Amino acid sequence: MTHTWAVDRALAVVSLKRRLAYKANWVFAIVLGGGSMLANLALWHNLIGEGTLGGYDWDAMRAYLIISFFTATLAFSGSDWEIADRILDGLIAVDLTKPVDFQRARAAEFIGSMLSTVPTAVLGVVGAWLLFSPPGPVSPLAGLLTAVSVLFVFPLAFGITYLSVLVCFWTRRYLGIMWAREALLGFFSGMLVPLALMPAPLQALSWALPFPHFTTTPSHIYLGRVDTAGALGLLAAELAWTVVLWFGGRLVFKHAVKKVTVHGG
Amino acid sequence: MAELIATRTGGARHAFAVYRRSLAAHFRSIVEYPADFWVMASAGALWQTLQFAFLAILFANVSAIAGWGYHEMLVLVGFLTLGGATTAVFWDGVWSIGSMVIKGDIDYRITRPAPVIVQVASLHVGMQAFGELSLGTVMLVYGWVGAGLSPTLIPLALLMLACAVVIETAVLTALCAVNFWVKGTMSVFAFLVNDLQQDVLRFPLGIYPAAVRLVAMFVIPLAFVSFVPVEVLTGRASDWWAFGPPIAAAATAAAAILVVRAGLRSYDSAGH
Repeated sequence: MTHTWAVDRALAVVSLKRRLAYKANWVFAIVLGGGSMLANLALWHNLIGEGTLGGYDWDAMRAYLIISFFTATLAFSGSDWEIADRILDGLIAVDLTKPVDFQRARAAEFIGSMLSTVPTAVLGVVGAWLLFSPPGPVSPLAGLLTAVSVLFVFPLAFGITYLSVLVCFWTRRYLGIMWAREALLGFFSGMLVPLALMPAPLQALSWALPFPHFTTTPSHIYLGRVDTAGALGLLAAELAWTVVLWFGGRLVFKHAVKKVTVHGG
Repeated sequence: MAELIATRTGGARHAFAVYRRSLAAHFRSIVEYPADFWVMASAGALWQTLQFAFLAILFANVSAIAGWGYHEMLVLVGFLTLGGATTAVFWDGVWSIGSMVIKGDIDYRITRPAPVIVQVASLHVGMQAFGELSLGTVMLVYGWVGAGLSPTLIPLALLMLACAVVIETAVLTALCAVNFWVKGTMSVFAFLVNDLQQDVLRFPLGIYPAAVRLVAMFVIPLAFVSFVPVEVLTGRASDWWAFGPPIAAAATAAAAILVVRAGLRSYDSAGH
């Protein structure tokens, strides 16, 4: 195996360029994510008014929803279909003959495609910031740790997506798997409704999963709902999930790849 | 005149027969691959279960959204879900227009003796809809009973639900047909509007600025799929608004027919 960082970088750049070639994707992502963010802002403004809900006042909720928009734009932008199609079309048989680690190669492509939406996400956040002027981070350190927690969205999104895409070894389609994953991610991350509003058992279940680190963790750190030690603990949990998902992916792939049948010869 | 009516009736009957047989063939193919069916149906059911949970969590913390109670919200989401899911079962093939235009696959359909749109729309069945239909019905019925709506309103609700399906189908068809001009395998406009509809119209329009309400009522009248019917059923809107869904259904259906016809006229096949 001669898989090097240069290979990863090259695959990520190719994936990034492929995405950037389709300018419509930029508009597409901002209209979709922006529309959802505006609908949520209208809803929570109506619900919270001058009071608080789950410990969020209107100021905190504005920041929460904008952070949620940013991380959701990144989390839902990876090249999942490209991986699924390789498995469903049988192209993976060719991949297996290459001197490249399949998982690392797909991770590089996935991260490259996620990077393509960073400008869109930043533009959306700047627009929302100007329109709704949410409060800043509770401290400069909290701001820095929030940025670190957002960086973990990249490997976490890949880890979860990769594991779910591997189900395609057993099915003929990917769409249903994608919907199920997105539904679970949207719900248990707190994108749909903040975890603080959920009943205790549901909150406990959410925190036992990797999903809250997409929205709740960055917003908790940003808004000072956890102190520095708590923030570092959350970052450690993100790191742990990154490792678990990575090796979980390896383990499942080892079994799943036995389903590949090469015809002809 | 009688001859013309007879010809048109015969044509419609023939088109419906083609549609029915084509769709039946796809139902048979679903039975052949049960794993895919269950994955898709479960995904649809999961979406709706989480939607249900979302509303339950929300209403554990608040008593109303813009004056709407929990059960009324369930009726609203039930209408939204059933309108979309029924369209997915019976008309899901229209999502393929974009790729068919690019590949030149419309050529084959034009040469066959049945309306092109009927052939295309019956090419696929949205299997996720089976999960959505089940959970959507549960939400609608549970919300209906909880909101104390009278059983005498059921015929009106069914009529407005039928109109909702026509509106959903017509808007989806018109937006997918945009791919006759804006080439692309993905029906971007339909996807955008469909997604925004799910995000925006699962809440009462009263929480939005006037511009959003105007667009949802009169530009792309998707408010008549869910919001207006539930307003009428719960007595928030006057009875006159009950005429809104049939009028919106007729208007959107006419617009969809015009867009598809114009699209087919501008279709110039692939490879040049």
